[in-house]
Amino acid sequence: MKVTIKSWTGVATWRWIANDDNCGICRMPFDSCCPDCKLPGDECPLVWGACSHCFHIHCIVKWLHSQPQQQCPMCRQDWKFNNK
Amino acid sequence: MASSRDELKIYWNKIYYAFPILNDMLFTDCSDEEYQEIQEIIIGLGIQIKIRDLVLVHIEKYLRQHVAPSFWAKFIKVEEEVKGFQLFKSAVNDLYESLKNFSPILNKLNTLNNCCGDNKPIFGERDVLMGFKQLLRATLLSQLPLDFPVIINHFYKISFNVFDNEYENSEMPDDIMCSGCWNESIDCNCAYIVKIFHDTNRKLVELQLLERLTGQVLTNFIQLRIESHIQKVCAGTFDVSHIGFLENWLDTTVMSWLTRIYCAGSSKPQPDNHIVLNAISKFKQKLSYFLYHSYTKLRIDQLFNIVIDYPDSQAAVDDIKLCLDKTDLRSTLCKKLQNALETRLLHPGVNTTDILTAYISTIRALRHLDPSGVILETVTKPVRSYLRNREDTVRSVVSSLTEEGAGSELAEELVKFAVDNDNENDKEEDWDEWEPDPVDADPKVNSCDRKASDIISMLVNVYGSKELFVNEYRTLLADRLLGQSVINTEKEIRYLELLKLRFGESQLHFCEVMLRDVSDSKRLNALIQQDRNFESLNSKFSSNAMILSAQFWPPFKDESLELPEEIKQHFEAYTKCYETLKGNRTLSWKPHLGNVNIEIEIGTKKLDLIVSPFNATLIMHFQNKPEWSLEELHQVMKVPITILRRKITYWQSLGIITEKTTDNYALVDGSEASKPSGSRNQVQDMICEDEETESVMASAHDQREGELQVFWSYIVGMLTNLDSLPLERIHQMLKMFASQAPGTECSLQELRQFLDTKVRTHQLILQAGMYKLPKT
Repeated sequence: MKVTIKSWTGVATWRWIANDDNCGICRMPFDSCCPDCKLPGDECPLVWGACSHCFHIHCIVKWLHSQPQQQCPMCRQDWKFNNK
Repeated sequence: MASSRDELKIYWNKIYYAFPILNDMLFTDCSDEEYQEIQEIIIGLGIQIKIRDLVLVHIEKYLRQHVAPSFWAKFIKVEEEVKGFQLFKSAVNDLYESLKNFSPILNKLNTLNNCCGDNKPIFGERDVLMGFKQLLRATLLSQLPLDFPVIINHFYKISFNVFDNEYENSEMPDDIMCSGCWNESIDCNCAYIVKIFHDTNRKLVELQLLERLTGQVLTNFIQLRIESHIQKVCAGTFDVSHIGFLENWLDTTVMSWLTRIYCAGSSKPQPDNHIVLNAISKFKQKLSYFLYHSYTKLRIDQLFNIVIDYPDSQAAVDDIKLCLDKTDLRSTLCKKLQNALETRLLHPGVNTTDILTAYISTIRALRHLDPSGVILETVTKPVRSYLRNREDTVRSVVSSLTEEGAGSELAEELVKFAVDNDNENDKEEDWDEWEPDPVDADPKVNSCDRKASDIISMLVNVYGSKELFVNEYRTLLADRLLGQSVINTEKEIRYLELLKLRFGESQLHFCEVMLRDVSDSKRLNALIQQDRNFESLNSKFSSNAMILSAQFWPPFKDESLELPEEIKQHFEAYTKCYETLKGNRTLSWKPHLGNVNIEIEIGTKKLDLIVSPFNATLIMHFQNKPEWSLEELHQVMKVPITILRRKITYWQSLGIITEKTTDNYALVDGSEASKPSGSRNQVQDMICEDEETESVMASAHDQREGELQVFWSYIVGMLTNLDSLPLERIHQMLKMFASQAPGTECSLQELRQFLDTKVRTHQLILQAGMYKLPKT
């Protein structure tokens, strides 16, 4: 007997490689989207700060806009985007 | 003294001569002149009042002893209708004749009475003749025998047949049997019967006995006829309105027959005869009410079938609608239909889809019958509570909602809703057409809600929440998306849009993401296939992937499966490509999901199959080594033995693998494989088919259990702080604190069930309606 595979369709789920499950600002899972977004993933990406904390980009931008000083909401260090 | 005594004797004889009734006789030779003389004597003696009363007493006695018994003697129980007809005829004739004999006496008495001048009423009537008739009626009726209606019934039955025949079958006179009198046409008796009939009725009218004697019998008889006529006309057909024909029939045949009875043969009553007119119109009212009543009753008995046939049975429903206004059968209707639904529909032998179909047509039919929706609400209450207890209701509803093609009424309904939705605004302007709710309406329910809710929301309301429906739809969608190799995303998106209109955007947001995942995956696949690293791998076979956003899909069943090495390589390469494409993101594979297109060559036979990854892996192992024990398979595939044993049947049913000894499986070589054993095969087929259609999603029940578990920490917190709480309080507080994510909406009933399971496992204590944490 000979078995030939013609095509294989697998199923996978994607997830962010991050050191936490939930966004520290909106408390939603990273793999979901921030409360303002409808679609997860590309449309609601994560950003990492220099302090290694990460958030939904929309959440952190909103946070930074509302603050006089640009600090990470988790560790109070100055916020810098870490473009790795 | 003696002479005066003799004189008195002579006078007395003369009075006897004038009024022979005093000797119980009716005949006398006494002429009018002679009587004048005698009357003068009576008046001369001043005893006119006494004589009058005496004569009346004797008349009464005579009637009682002779006339009435001989009349009633004819009223015996006979079987043959013709005999009954004759008996009644002769009874009435004899009575009429014998009363004729009274007329000389009555005339004399009348003159005598006129001389009395005391204005004393005679048996309650003003003049002698009327008084006599009154007396006659009283006497007759006082001796009424038990079986008197029998021959009256025969009499009217025969005559009605003749009339009915005249009206209905006038166009076919050449029948061998006359259907009026059931004689052969040559010696048809109809004319004779009609003559006798009119004659008898005229006599009865004259005696004012018609109403008294035959009223009840006539009514009963006509009611019977109406009933049988309705039965005859309306049996089994629901697509024609009958009420018009029936009214017409009542007007022509029945009423004209009645008129003839009352008017002694003429078909039109004299316009000035108010008594007759009155009697006839009263009769008509009574009979048309009865007609409506029995028609409605018949229809109510058939209502279940009518409802199921709706909208083909619209005519019948229209009839019922009309009749319900004229009769008081509303509550009977509700009760009967409810019973019919319960006995014919709500038992384990009926498929859920059939119940749903019936429920939908019930909704439609009753909507039409009673736009206020009250009947519908009452009748379908048991259906709703029954559906609530069926596990697959939601699934059936959702799948029929999204089903394509004819026969899926719900799908049509969904599309219709989308169209209707736009013209809903002008409702407020109909205020002048407002009608109050019927009396049997539940005052707690807003009548607008009752009217506005359409079929889909009625179905959704079976559960009281949209959540369950949306969740079920999500699971179904997930199954469909993962199960099909070719996905018709456009169709799914169209349905999703329709559902959104109905259930709201936010509820179906998850499904939207799911559909987008599918289309994104397609794009991503195309992109990754072009990748150079991947190309070399792909030379053997193409591998694709569905990349899902786990947060938005229903939870998957957890199953382990160790894939063959080459597939794993593919997946790893795929993951790498993905990671480079999308920074900071990675994939976790669900090895047991997806589908595989394989080709199997056995000898000369080639099989092209689409199978699950599990089955593909299994057969690939057999390719390398023709014999495996379950234990070995378990080692390489990391699948529990029980599942292995169950799933390997798929290949057994195809005749490719066979169980050599217990738990030892071997490949069947080419020659044997071509002739799988018949009966065994079918059984296996069934098993594996079952398996293949099994949902990959965790069952709704398991999901729900998991969701409720979320509440547990809240509940524990509450009870620690507040010691003990009743169910309602817990429910309220949960509503306040924990109600964001979909699926966390929790009904009181569900909560109770959940808490009860906790009580059972001794995690809670229920005391006097209050829940408490056990003291540790």
